[in-house]
Amino acid sequence: MLLIIKTSFMRKIIILSVLALTIFACSEPKDDTISVAGSTTVLPVVSSAADLFMKQNPDSKIIVNAGGSGVGVNQLGSQRIEIGMISRDITKKEISQYPNTSFKTHAIGRDAVVPVVSSEIYNAGITSLTLDQLAKIYKGEISNWKELDGPDKEILVIDKEAARGTRHVFMEIVLGDKEAQAAGADLVLGANNEEQTALVQSDAALGILSNGWLNDDVKGLSIKMPDGTLIEPSLENIVTNKFPITRDLVLITNGTPTGKTKEFIDFILSPEGQEIVVKNGYVGISE
Amino acid sequence: MLAFQNKIGKGYVIASTYVSIAITLLIFIILFWYSFEAFKEIGWDLFTRNWNPATEEYGMLSMLYGTLMVTGIALLIAVPVGILTAIFTSEIIPKQYRLYIKSAIELLAGIPSIIYGLIGIAFFSTWISSWFDLASGRTLLTAGFLLAIMILPTIITLSDDAFFNIPKKYREASKGLGLYTYEVLQKTIWPLAKKNIAGAVLLALGRALGETMAVMLLVGSIDKIPDPFYQVTSPGQTITSKLGREVGESAFGSLHFSALNAIGFLLLLLVITLTIFTQIYFRKKQEVL
Repeated sequence: MLLIIKTSFMRKIIILSVLALTIFACSEPKDDTISVAGSTTVLPVVSSAADLFMKQNPDSKIIVNAGGSGVGVNQLGSQRIEIGMISRDITKKEISQYPNTSFKTHAIGRDAVVPVVSSEIYNAGITSLTLDQLAKIYKGEISNWKELDGPDKEILVIDKEAARGTRHVFMEIVLGDKEAQAAGADLVLGANNEEQTALVQSDAALGILSNGWLNDDVKGLSIKMPDGTLIEPSLENIVTNKFPITRDLVLITNGTPTGKTKEFIDFILSPEGQEIVVKNGYVGISE
Repeated sequence: MLAFQNKIGKGYVIASTYVSIAITLLIFIILFWYSFEAFKEIGWDLFTRNWNPATEEYGMLSMLYGTLMVTGIALLIAVPVGILTAIFTSEIIPKQYRLYIKSAIELLAGIPSIIYGLIGIAFFSTWISSWFDLASGRTLLTAGFLLAIMILPTIITLSDDAFFNIPKKYREASKGLGLYTYEVLQKTIWPLAKKNIAGAVLLALGRALGETMAVMLLVGSIDKIPDPFYQVTSPGQTITSKLGREVGESAFGSLHFSALNAIGFLLLLLVITLTIFTQIYFRKKQEVL
């Protein structure tokens, strides 16, 4: 009897210690793991590049997470990740918040931020807007598609979370301040895919998306310039900078990257990596 | 040897208790610690409407409104449905089926909230937008509706226990007086079970206040109080959805981060107050029976 109790008791202790050891072992950070997080605009490029890179270098491990540009800057700033993905400039405030991190940027491609409407609105004839009209919609001064010669429907204005890269770039050009508040907004969403879903589900929505996230259900609008010319969000117009709202897709590191991190960034900048950039609907950096 | 093991066992139990208490206290203290700066710098301006980190304005009124509204809607739907279901499982169907139905309902409680959120985005939001002819189905009502489904199992099982645990003698005595089934329920069972059911509802309320993921996907996430304020088919923001969306973007140690901690702290206070009420209710029930 005593023996049985003793052995089962001992077994429990052994199991517990093994468990404790496992947890302890798991918490040990591995040097060769590269953690990446941030902008959902850059995400598709980096995650397919990471798949290919890991296939070619079986001993390396890359973990890619989303979160948005703001998350990318914060996590790199607090040195929890090796590479941050951003689709906007780092703000002065962000740099001052992390005095111990020296942000180093590596542009890997170019993109446009495109105003997007639900396909019903696009098919009803609204295929372009001026920057001024966009500003009025986001300020709440235009609230019905009728005022823009569209169907008689309230505009569902979709805004984005404050620190998102797409929002910074768009608001900088349209409202003149990257942190401007949009009084006309009806919804505030986060990642590109969340915004895409909302645009598809609605029949009267206006949102902002990265050029790489456009498809048949979410159609990008052309921008009507003051002189009357229409500039559509094509790769050609991004390369020549004709499209008014363009930006770089950027990876950030703390100081000059070394080791596997450097190899990975070099891989994305190589012809093979740039092919992935183009395949995702963006413009390569060399063009 | 056995006495020695007994001591180890006792020590283990006591240690576990202390660890649980310590974790709760630690969460409370850490949240307060990080929100202290916000309370000091922002003060009563926390209870204004405008939230804009760029201009260092942090007013949580619209989030507090959203939290209370969404929770209110959830309770308004879940309480009647839950209690009626509990009456069905405990009083009406034969006893041998009760456990099957009960465990099926309890399974609902085990579904991760992100799954509810996905179902909500894919179905509920489109239904709500077509029923009410709205531009977007991401509204306070949608979030409240989904929350109602999420807290139903808690209300059903606990209310079912409350009804079921009432001794048979009360039912037999009432039936002996010639009362109909609904009269037995209304005049005898309900008054006895009432307090336990209030406890069940308060527990569900706690869950509803703290739910993040599903609400965040469905509520629309805009810091606005609709006009008029009871227009629940407009998008809004809850405290938890605000936290879910912004904590990752705020720099550790900034006023923004502190303000987010502060609204989290206030939510925690709300939940703790409710838990204390629940406890008081449960204690009273023991005196009655």
